[in-house]
Amino acid sequence: MADGGNNWRPPRPCEAYRAEWKLCRSARHLLHHYYVHGERPTCEQWRRDLASCREWEERRSAEAQRSLCESERARVQAAQKHALVWALRRSPPAEWHLPLPQDEKDE
Amino acid sequence: MAGVPEERGPGPAAGEQLQQQHVSCQVFPERLEEGKPQPGFFSSFFTNNQKCQLMLLKTLETNPYVKLLLDAMKHSGCAVNRERHFSCEDCNGSVSGGFDASSSQIVLCQNNIRNQAHMNRVVTHELIHAFDHCRAHVDWFTNVRHLACSEIRAANLSGDCSLVNEVFRLHFGLKQHHQTCVRDRAILSILAVRNINKEVAQKAVDKVFESCFNDLEPFGRIPHNKTDAKYAHRDFQNRDRYFSNI
Repeated sequence: MADGGNNWRPPRPCEAYRAEWKLCRSARHLLHHYYVHGERPTCEQWRRDLASCREWEERRSAEAQRSLCESERARVQAAQKHALVWALRRSPPAEWHLPLPQDEKDE
Repeated sequence: MAGVPEERGPGPAAGEQLQQQHVSCQVFPERLEEGKPQPGFFSSFFTNNQKCQLMLLKTLETNPYVKLLLDAMKHSGCAVNRERHFSCEDCNGSVSGGFDASSSQIVLCQNNIRNQAHMNRVVTHELIHAFDHCRAHVDWFTNVRHLACSEIRAANLSGDCSLVNEVFRLHFGLKQHHQTCVRDRAILSILAVRNINKEVAQKAVDKVFESCFNDLEPFGRIPHNKTDAKYAHRDFQNRDRYFSNI
């Protein structure tokens, strides 16, 4: 867990935060975001997360750790806020690996 | 199975719904034939089947959208085997491909897939259906909302509705046009595989749109290009570290 002691590290490498921030600010992403959502993207949170990640790397700041965890949990929650239309399986469909029902399929 | 002009969708189980089977015979004639289809008398240097197989191989080995989907399916217990789970066949009409849930197989229409980019997109689209089939109890044949959901996701995440593709279709729009495209293509797909009227299809899409448009598994984002897909794949490979540290 995020609050667990010595084994915690940022959920993503700092380089990943930098790459996402850079991608977010690119002209291409601006165009795509407008095409999908009809508005400009906001990239500030990636910048904050990058700063927190670097701060934790340099000084093992508890505040930086808290801030990163909070930010990432918010992302996960935002992704899960809609109820699914279907029920998830507990195991894959049994017939997935079985041979084809018809033998004349390409061998 | 049945398909849509330039679209594809999951197929009904053979024998279960005779009406659907009748439609599916017309679009994917090889699916229910006895014996292997014979090659044409005058075949070019590479037959359509060979071209299809070669392009499929290249897609599976190099396309980042597909590689992520294959990884995700393996992780869900549905490892994909090219020979078992893909079939290059001739199809009627201008359908590009389909997912046959009854045989767990992706059909690629070798006579209609134009080039490598098109193959990439068709395989991505059908693998999204296969992924949904693998991870959820999707009732392909009797629940239109389930079908609508998978079609929304496939149109949203496969690149079907990219700005460039829409411009080529002479559909011009920018602000939030992606969503319009996803809605329209999902409806088209449903109409091609189900004998229902347009209002019913539209209603099903409207009902599930909010939820399914925002279900971005396994990408975690709408990939607009190969860079996005590579970042998504990187995140997928990193998920253990991610979830154990938040």
